[in-house]
Amino acid sequence: MGKPKHYRPPGKKKEGNAARYVTRSQAIKILQVSLSDFRKLCIHKGVFPREPKKKVKGNHHTYYHLKDVMYILHDPLLEKFREIRAYQKKIKKAKAKKNDELARLLLSRAPSYKLDMVIRDRYPTFVDALRDLDDPLTMIHLFAMLPAIDRLKIEAKRIHNCRRLCHEWQAYISRTHKLRKVFVAVKGVYYQAEVDGQKITWLAPHARQQVLTDDVDFNVMLTFLEFYEALLGFVNFQLYHSINVKYPPILDPRLEALAADLYALSRYFDANYRASVREPQVAGSSRSEQELEESDLRLAQLQHQLPANEPGALMHLVQDAASEIEEDEATRECKKLFQNKKIFLSREVPRESLLFVIPAFGGIVSWEGDGAPYAEADDSITHQIVDRPTQGHVYLSREYIQPQWVYDCVNARIILPTEPYTVGRDPPPHLSPFVDDEAEGYIPDYAKTIKQLQAAAKRDVQPLPGTENDDLDNSENMLAEGYISRTKAMEAAEKKQQMMLLEKQYHDDLKMELQVVSSINKQSPAKDMESKEESLPDVEQSAIGTEDPSRLMMSRKKRGLAIAIEMSKQRKKDHVEKLKERKRNIEAAQKSEKKHKKAQLY
Amino acid sequence: MGKKVKTSRKGKKAWRANISMEDIHDYFEKSTKDALSGGSLASVPTESLFFIDKSKDLSVKRKIEKKREKVLRVDSVLKKNPFVEAVPSSKQKDSKKKKKEALKAKDVVVQDVPKDDSTPDSGMVPLWGNQGQQSGKARQACKQSIIPAVEVEPPGCSYNPSFESHQDSLAQAVAEEMQKVYKNELGPQPVPLTVMGEVIDEDDKYFMEADDGSDDEMNEENLSEKEDTLTEKRPSKTRRVTRVELNKRARRKELQRKEAEAKRAKELSEDIDTLPDILQEIAKEDEEKQKKHLRRVIAKQERLKACPPRLGKYKFQPAPPQVLLSEELTGSLRKLKGCATLARDRFKSLEKRGLIPPSAKTGRK
Repeated sequence: MGKPKHYRPPGKKKEGNAARYVTRSQAIKILQVSLSDFRKLCIHKGVFPREPKKKVKGNHHTYYHLKDVMYILHDPLLEKFREIRAYQKKIKKAKAKKNDELARLLLSRAPSYKLDMVIRDRYPTFVDALRDLDDPLTMIHLFAMLPAIDRLKIEAKRIHNCRRLCHEWQAYISRTHKLRKVFVAVKGVYYQAEVDGQKITWLAPHARQQVLTDDVDFNVMLTFLEFYEALLGFVNFQLYHSINVKYPPILDPRLEALAADLYALSRYFDANYRASVREPQVAGSSRSEQELEESDLRLAQLQHQLPANEPGALMHLVQDAASEIEEDEATRECKKLFQNKKIFLSREVPRESLLFVIPAFGGIVSWEGDGAPYAEADDSITHQIVDRPTQGHVYLSREYIQPQWVYDCVNARIILPTEPYTVGRDPPPHLSPFVDDEAEGYIPDYAKTIKQLQAAAKRDVQPLPGTENDDLDNSENMLAEGYISRTKAMEAAEKKQQMMLLEKQYHDDLKMELQVVSSINKQSPAKDMESKEESLPDVEQSAIGTEDPSRLMMSRKKRGLAIAIEMSKQRKKDHVEKLKERKRNIEAAQKSEKKHKKAQLY
Repeated sequence: MGKKVKTSRKGKKAWRANISMEDIHDYFEKSTKDALSGGSLASVPTESLFFIDKSKDLSVKRKIEKKREKVLRVDSVLKKNPFVEAVPSSKQKDSKKKKKEALKAKDVVVQDVPKDDSTPDSGMVPLWGNQGQQSGKARQACKQSIIPAVEVEPPGCSYNPSFESHQDSLAQAVAEEMQKVYKNELGPQPVPLTVMGEVIDEDDKYFMEADDGSDDEMNEENLSEKEDTLTEKRPSKTRRVTRVELNKRARRKELQRKEAEAKRAKELSEDIDTLPDILQEIAKEDEEKQKKHLRRVIAKQERLKACPPRLGKYKFQPAPPQVLLSEELTGSLRKLKGCATLARDRFKSLEKRGLIPPSAKTGRK
């Protein structure tokens, strides 16, 4: 005979949600720390509030899982936080007693904590860290733009650190040609890079003044930033070591003073590469501290020795690196996009972004200002990027284009014709590369023309794989011509395109089904590993179609999801229809207006 | 009692006895001492002997030192003894501890080796080893929300969008705004802070309530009186049941039972006749149930995509999308009116992903 369920002897543990979840104040009581310390610990350890099914204490509390609280309790960081708090009290006391000397002494010896073990705990492998890098990068790029304000405890030192980390990351991405997509939105510039097979997306704000609103808790933001700074530092370290570059880079102070950090970093890469080539000869079996210092010195000297206006320096670097780093298809494609292009940036264009993007795609770039690799008067410049209504002095040997051209070229992966982007014209719309047009079903007009150009470029390049470098300019000219009088070539291409479209459709169907599977997999992350193994049969199952037999095989949850996906597809289709309808209406309205005008004229 | 010693006497002997030589002796002693220690202090100027210690507040320091000298017994007992091992706050199983220690030792080795040849001064170590692998057991990463950390804006939010997508995004933004407006208009009216009418004094209020209450009480009293009289009239003792009556009851009961049985049998036969209908009904019910479940699953998915679960006192409120108005479209990066509240955007993203509980809007006006 069992006990009645409601009876619980005193001292026995409770069961269910009441035992598994604790409110925030209970958690603080368990951990014996202050609220602010608890918040910091949660952010550092990656412990976030949860929503229990039954909220035992009421709906207006924040709940934490007891396991999470215990996870914090067993961390050495907790002890460290307590120690710091005790120490702060000492300092406060000394200050209150007007014992400034003691206070200063205590301050100089204040205990601090490191987050490396926490990072290692949270991200056991490097890929894990890369996967979670979106938020850190966005946050650090944002803080690099913020003003330092004492009231909010945003120190200038941290902002400089953020800027440094950003530049280091960008330099790596640019150097290894890992950038894939760029989208200039109202909020800022979205970048997507692919590192170790992980797609990393981040947002860099425009170079405008940022407003700090009152509804943002900057204490929380700064704690997140603290963790992210440490994380990005370690990631950068790892990445730099993977390409045999010493991590805390030593930069040319002259360039640093001119706020050309990115360029300084790229030069550092170059110098470091050369140094590493020479070093094995110089350094013997044992290396003492002195020698290390010497090599550092030599490094700095090497950077000075590099001819400041040697145009081929970056290209040289690119070629050098090619042999070392194993590359995939996309990287090779990206590396060659702006090959043989020498680009000059005018004063008014967003320099930071373009200095990052153009070298990432193999171009050489310079800018107006001190410390630039070459001046505006250089004859070999092929493109100059300007963003003003009219250009006064014009060199005939180069093309004057708006900055959007660079971004659109990058997204299309071909050199687009420059006429629509010339100075003073309204450029074609800047399309988002993050939208999958086929999946969405609606393709904007400009995307269609870009697609045609891509198809044409492929046709041009494919028969001559060996000599594509030389032909790039020619093909570009041809493309330009083709764009102006696009008649025969396009017609021929269209047939091929239709074939391609059919093929694409087939691929898309496959992709859709894969998406179904993947979304189902997302549903159960705990079973992720198992489902990966099972994914093949799953694909086959869904390939049969969404008929009853396959559906019967699925579990109830999965079936529901499949139906949900279908519904969303239907909705999307309707949406596309609506867009098309709207466009038709607009065109009809324009036509009628024209007719009206004509009628009025007559 | 005894005879007093005579002190005064004439003659040399008396001189010697009465004159004390102590000060002379002292003087000689002192001078020899000084000579030995290197000059008398009296001749030295005062400045060289003493100086005023301006660096510290002497009295305070003396006080502190006085206190410091004394060590209370409680403190001395609590003092750390190097020969006694500290008691850990939590007891761990031996095997686990040993494993951890072994791991730590390994880590130390891993950390130390690259330190030597890479960067001794920066304090950075390759956390993930040279291959990006890590051997240690890691904690299962807690379930993150399905909302991505960086949500890419729709194509209509481009700085130079195509016409259709821009219209689309604009319409969405307008719809959201209008929804807010309608909610304000159609929602329940807030309780007014002030009410029209005259102010009533405390005393008046008391009288009003008293008047109202008295009537009610009177009525209640009347009612209760009537009830009392009724209960008194009712005969209190129970009637005896006769045999005839009992028999009657038994018969009726039997009859009822039979009727019910017959009814049941009839129903059963009817049910058997309408079996297909029932089956259909059940199927329909099942289907309905399934649909309901489906609706719930989908609704939950969409809800999770749009906003986090309720994590605290306040509900999450999304930030409005950043779309350029039609007249702000310039097609030029230089003239772009960028978003200036990206910090808020990030903060909202943290809230949206459920990393922090949403906070109340604390805008200072």
